[in-house]
This record gives sequence, structure tokens and C-alpha cells, in this order.
Amino acid sequence: LNGRDSQHELVIRRAHVLDPGSGLDGITDVRISSGRISEVGDGLRGTHELDADGLHLFPGFVDVHAHWRTPGREDEETLESGSAAAAAGGFTGVVMMPNTDPVVDRPVIVSGLARRIERESRVRTYISAALHVGLAGERLTEMRLLKEAGAFCVSDDGLGTASAGVLRNGMLYARTAGLPVILHCEDHTLATGVVHDGTAAALAGIPGSPASAEDAATATALVLAAETGAKVHITHVSTALSAALVAFFKERADVTGDTTPHHLTLTDDLVSTLGGAYRVNPPLRPDDDRRGVGKALRDGVLDFVATDHAPHASEEKELPLEEAAPGFLGHETAFAALYTELIGRGKLSLPRLVEAMSCAPGRWVGEGGGITVGGPADLTLVDLSEEWTVGRETMVSRSSNSPYLGKKLAGRVVGTVVGGELVHDKIGARFGVRA
Amino acid sequence: LESRHLLTLEDTSREELREILDLAHDYAEGNLGKPLEGKTVCLAFFEASTRTASSFELAARRAGADVISLSEGGSAIAKGESLVDTVVTLDSLGADAIVLRHPSAGAARLATRHTGAAVVNAGDGCGQHPTQALLDLYALSGALGGFEELVGRRMAIVGDVLHSRVARSVIPAFQAAGMEVALVAPQTLLPGEDGVWGLPILSSVDEALGWGIEVLYTLRLQSERMVGGSPRVPSVAEYAAYYGVSRRHLEPGVFVMHPGPVNRGVEISGDVVLGAASLIPDQVAAGIAVRSAVLTIATGALREVAA
Repeated sequence: LNGRDSQHELVIRRAHVLDPGSGLDGITDVRISSGRISEVGDGLRGTHELDADGLHLFPGFVDVHAHWRTPGREDEETLESGSAAAAAGGFTGVVMMPNTDPVVDRPVIVSGLARRIERESRVRTYISAALHVGLAGERLTEMRLLKEAGAFCVSDDGLGTASAGVLRNGMLYARTAGLPVILHCEDHTLATGVVHDGTAAALAGIPGSPASAEDAATATALVLAAETGAKVHITHVSTALSAALVAFFKERADVTGDTTPHHLTLTDDLVSTLGGAYRVNPPLRPDDDRRGVGKALRDGVLDFVATDHAPHASEEKELPLEEAAPGFLGHETAFAALYTELIGRGKLSLPRLVEAMSCAPGRWVGEGGGITVGGPADLTLVDLSEEWTVGRETMVSRSSNSPYLGKKLAGRVVGTVVGGELVHDKIGARFGVRA
Repeated sequence: LESRHLLTLEDTSREELREILDLAHDYAEGNLGKPLEGKTVCLAFFEASTRTASSFELAARRAGADVISLSEGGSAIAKGESLVDTVVTLDSLGADAIVLRHPSAGAARLATRHTGAAVVNAGDGCGQHPTQALLDLYALSGALGGFEELVGRRMAIVGDVLHSRVARSVIPAFQAAGMEVALVAPQTLLPGEDGVWGLPILSSVDEALGWGIEVLYTLRLQSERMVGGSPRVPSVAEYAAYYGVSRRHLEPGVFVMHPGPVNRGVEISGDVVLGAASLIPDQVAAGIAVRSAVLTIATGALREVAA
């Protein structure tokens, strides 16, 4: 996509421009030239104009955690459908995870994927290669060659790392390769269940995994990050204790953390439905944890939001909870779920949400995340007043395993611009060539 | 009364329990004939079971139903057909009731979304086993001289509560019947969250007797809890010492119950299993009448009985 920056000029007029990074917060105009932001100010006119009166304009959202199931499970998601779903959710940049079939653990797979991304993805797409061959937690991948082939970071996401010694070597070598490490923290000797080991699980008779499965692994990872000096990102933090551990290590290690829209808005009482739709890993937690990670996001202890977009075929979800595949769709509902549940209830400010969905993850990938003259024109247009109901038919993804199906949400992404190009457009009528 | 599913006893009222047990009593007395004549009952067992499957089959046939039986050996279930597809197939065959046994909690509830037939949960994972608790109530009522006699009496559920679907049905059902329930188990065999049921937790069978119980309801301890990668009890000897029921516990007026199959010498010593205090044979015997009653209510045949 980086090669297809538009040559057109476009002026987005009269949107409420909000970018906490550059301090913009008010109604003004933004001029885009050759895929970059060329001017911000009042009264701008251009040959192509988009009337955004009543809409909000944010720096494009960036999602550091997504599963686009390519290669191997294209029935669930492809680069085209995953990136279209991301664009529909306002995301202009996405990191895709390596737990595909085959696993993204060899340079030839990375270079092949990079070529397909150029042709098939609508948004800026960053490849996470595997940290260990086959995600097996044993042999290191060829990280320097993977980086040359186009990998942006490494991760064994979906699996914890069995041995602390192996993880320590992985961190040291990733530092040598200059690759950030994304860690899914889970101790498999503790994580023997399928939901959070709490009241709902006990009453329902569904095997639970204790919170220590995440907390103990997070503590180990943070200690190793501090010792090795690796650039480590702890993804999908779901407990208050893990968030507190991240806070403790913020000054002691090169560490960042994220949490997900579903861990910020849903709790483990959904286990009582016994429905496979609500199985996810890490599992939905009790309300104390939900509020704890929410506070950590508000205070910046957790740097940003990532969705862990995880499409699954219906036959993998329409099962008893114990047998269902873990994972939720995330891209298309992320902003609306958080706007409805956190901002609508006064738990988070809109500038902090934009910081957490755009600026901070944009800084992490080193691209986008701001509305600054000379920067890439990666932008998200949102109608905060629109209410909509999440339904299978609204889904752009190839799958429909959203935990918000049937739920009415406020705030809708109506336009997404990547490199000056409109890659998602629900406001076509407003976009016109000036006579 | 409408035809209805039987998935759980979590919210069942005392009156509903009494209605089922009264109907079971009528069946046991031979007063009802064959109200399920012309009805089709399908047994779909996705998990090995001899006693429950046989009991349901006898219960359905004695009440006059046609019975189709699918089990994990030699059927589409063995070929990997999904739960939903099996249920849809049975629905298309014209089932009036589907009796479902499955290794995962929530299977019976999932089945109800794909059939118009009444679904009777015959045990789902560690979730619920409602007909077991109903036949337990029936057997205990019989021993004590009536359903009313249960009110205010104390019982202890002893053993692997954590993995027990029987316990998850027995706890709410016996409480609804008016009994006071305590749990006797080591922390490794209880849910991690303390006090989910708000019940007293006692440290041994002896302590339970001191608490004044009249019923010791013992649960099966599966062998994989005792050995293997992450054992939950240190040895059979230690388990039997604190959580096993032996002859010395049999004070007058104390009954011993067990859902079977029993590990003799682990949760109950051999001389207690068939002793005078044991209700285990009564429990098995009660199963047929109770399950006939459940199927009669589930399929809506009760209206015809009443008429």
C-alpha cells in the first residue's frame, strides 16, 4: 500500500479535528496532498472536497494485534476481508499475527506475505513473524533474516512460552535483531480451563483457569524484559494485577502494554450463557478486573487498545463453551464499543481514547497516529451521534463471531483514509468534485 | 402444563419438585398405564453410560414410548457428527423428546436452539445431571416417609464437588426441598472461588456428623484426580481417612447415598455400600419411575394423563 499514495488533493472541511498528540481540538479543515497532510487551518478550499460537517476527524486508528488467518484459513479471513474489516472499523494500520498455517516463521513466508499485502491489503499492514519456529517455544527463528524479508516484530501469540529460559534467549536475540517482541502471557501449567476460574464458571461447571495463569507469566516476562533490555509489548492484559505489574516495570524495562475492547466492556458473567460465542483467551474477567484494566488504560499504564481480532467459522463457535474456538472479531466494533461503554458512562475521555487507539499505537509502529503537516494522511472520520445495531449483515469480515451481535452501539466510523485514499466510505454522497 | 425442557435444577421450585415426585410415585404404583404411547423418545449419548442410558430406555418403554438410541459406539456420533447436526437429525425423525448425555456443559442448552422436541439433560460435562438429583430426592423421601420430611434436615455432600455435575444439581434441588447442605472436600476438589453456593465447608466426615447431618451424599472420586500430572489428593489412604465413609460413621438415623459407580474402599468402604444405612439400591430403583415422570412432563403427555 505504501506505493499507492494518492496523487490527488483532497480537503476535508469542517470536521471536528481531534488529535491529542498535536493538540488539535476543534472544527477546522485539513488539506491532503500526495498522500500526506499538507495544511491544517480554517477556510481551506480544494479541487476535491469532503464535507465533514458534524463529524469527528481523528488520526487513523492502529491495531497492533489481529489474526487475518492468511495463509491457511482463508474461509475465515483473508488479507482483503481482514483489511476491509479494519478499514470499516477506522483502522489505518494493523499488525498481523503469525499463528497461521504455515506459521510465519521463515523468511520466504514473510517475503511472500509482504508481496501479497501490497496487492491485497487496504491498510498499512505490519507482519509479526514467529519468535520460535512453529510457535513451539524451542528453536529461535532466523530473526535477522525475517527482518530483512519484511517482518516488523516477533511473537508467539496464541501461546505462552513454556520455559522462562527459552523466552530469555528469545528476548536477547530479538534485541540483537532490532525487533520488538509481542508477548501473550499465559502459563499453560495453570491455564487448564477454558474460562476465568470465578463464580460463573464454578456454578456452570465449566473448567476455569485462574488469573494466576496470566499474572505469573506476565511477571516472568517483565522480569526478563528488564534484565535483557528487549523492547517488549505485553498484549491483551486482562487482569488488574497484571496491569499493576506492567506499571511497576514501566521505569525498569522497555515495556508497553495493551488491553482489548472486550476486556474493557464485557465480564465473565457471560459464562452463565454456556455459549461458545463467549469463549476467548485470555478469558473474560470479573468486573473488578474489567475496572482495573480500564483504570490502567485511563492512566496510561496500559499504553493502548488492541483488538485481538480473531475470526472463526460458525462451526467452530456454535458449540458448547468448552469445545468452541477461543476468539472474537474486533476491528469493526472496537471504537463503538469503547465509545458506548466507557465514554458514554464517563469512565474515559474522548481525547484519551483517541490517544489509546491512534497516537500511542501509531508511535509503537512508528508511522501515523497523528494529524501533522508533512505526516501521512492516515485518518478516521467518525459520526459520534449515529447509533447502530451490530448484526451479522453489518460485518465486513468473512466471519461473524462478534460478542456484540445484537447490541446497539453509539458512534460509527463513516470514513477511513490511508495515504490520502478513502479506503472505507459510508459518506460517498458528501464527497464531491468542486464545480 | 406445557411440554418443557429439563436442563438444570438451578431454579426449580419446591412445588415443581413435588409435582415430578408425585407423578413418579404414581408410575411406581403402576397407576398410569402408558401415557407415552405414540411418542418418540431419542437417546443421544455422546459419552459412555450404562446405568443412565438403560434407566432412561426402560423408563421410556414402560411408559409406552418408541425409543431410538444413539450412542458413541456404532453411530453417526462415532463418525464425528456434530451435536447440532445430530439434534437436527433426531428432530427430523420426529422426536418428541431428546435425552442428551454429553461431555461438555451447556450441550443440552445448545440443543434446545435446534429442535422443537423437549430436551432432557442426562448429564452435561461438569454442568448438570438433573434426573440424578430428582431420583435422589425420591429415594430419600421414601426412606424418610415423605417429601415433607426433608424440611430442616441436614446433609453433607462429600468429595469431588469441583468436577461433579451431580453436585451442581443436588445442591439446588435439596435446598429447594428444604434441606440444609454442607460440603466436605479438600480445597483442591472445590471451586476456586470460595462460597459460590454460600454453603458451610467442613473438613471431614466426622466433622459433618458433628454438625448434625442425617445424610452423607458421597461423590465418586475419579482415578485421574488421585494420580497423574497434577494430583489433587495425596493418596487413597489419606482421602479415605478424612473423606471416606466407613462403618464407624454409621450412627443410627444416618443414611448414605452415592450416584454410582462406587469406588469401594475410596469414598465408601465395601461393607457400607450394601449395608442397612445405604440408599444406593433405592436410588437406582427410583430412576425408572422418576425418568418416566420427567419424560411425561417434558413431552406434554401429562395433559392426557390429567384428562
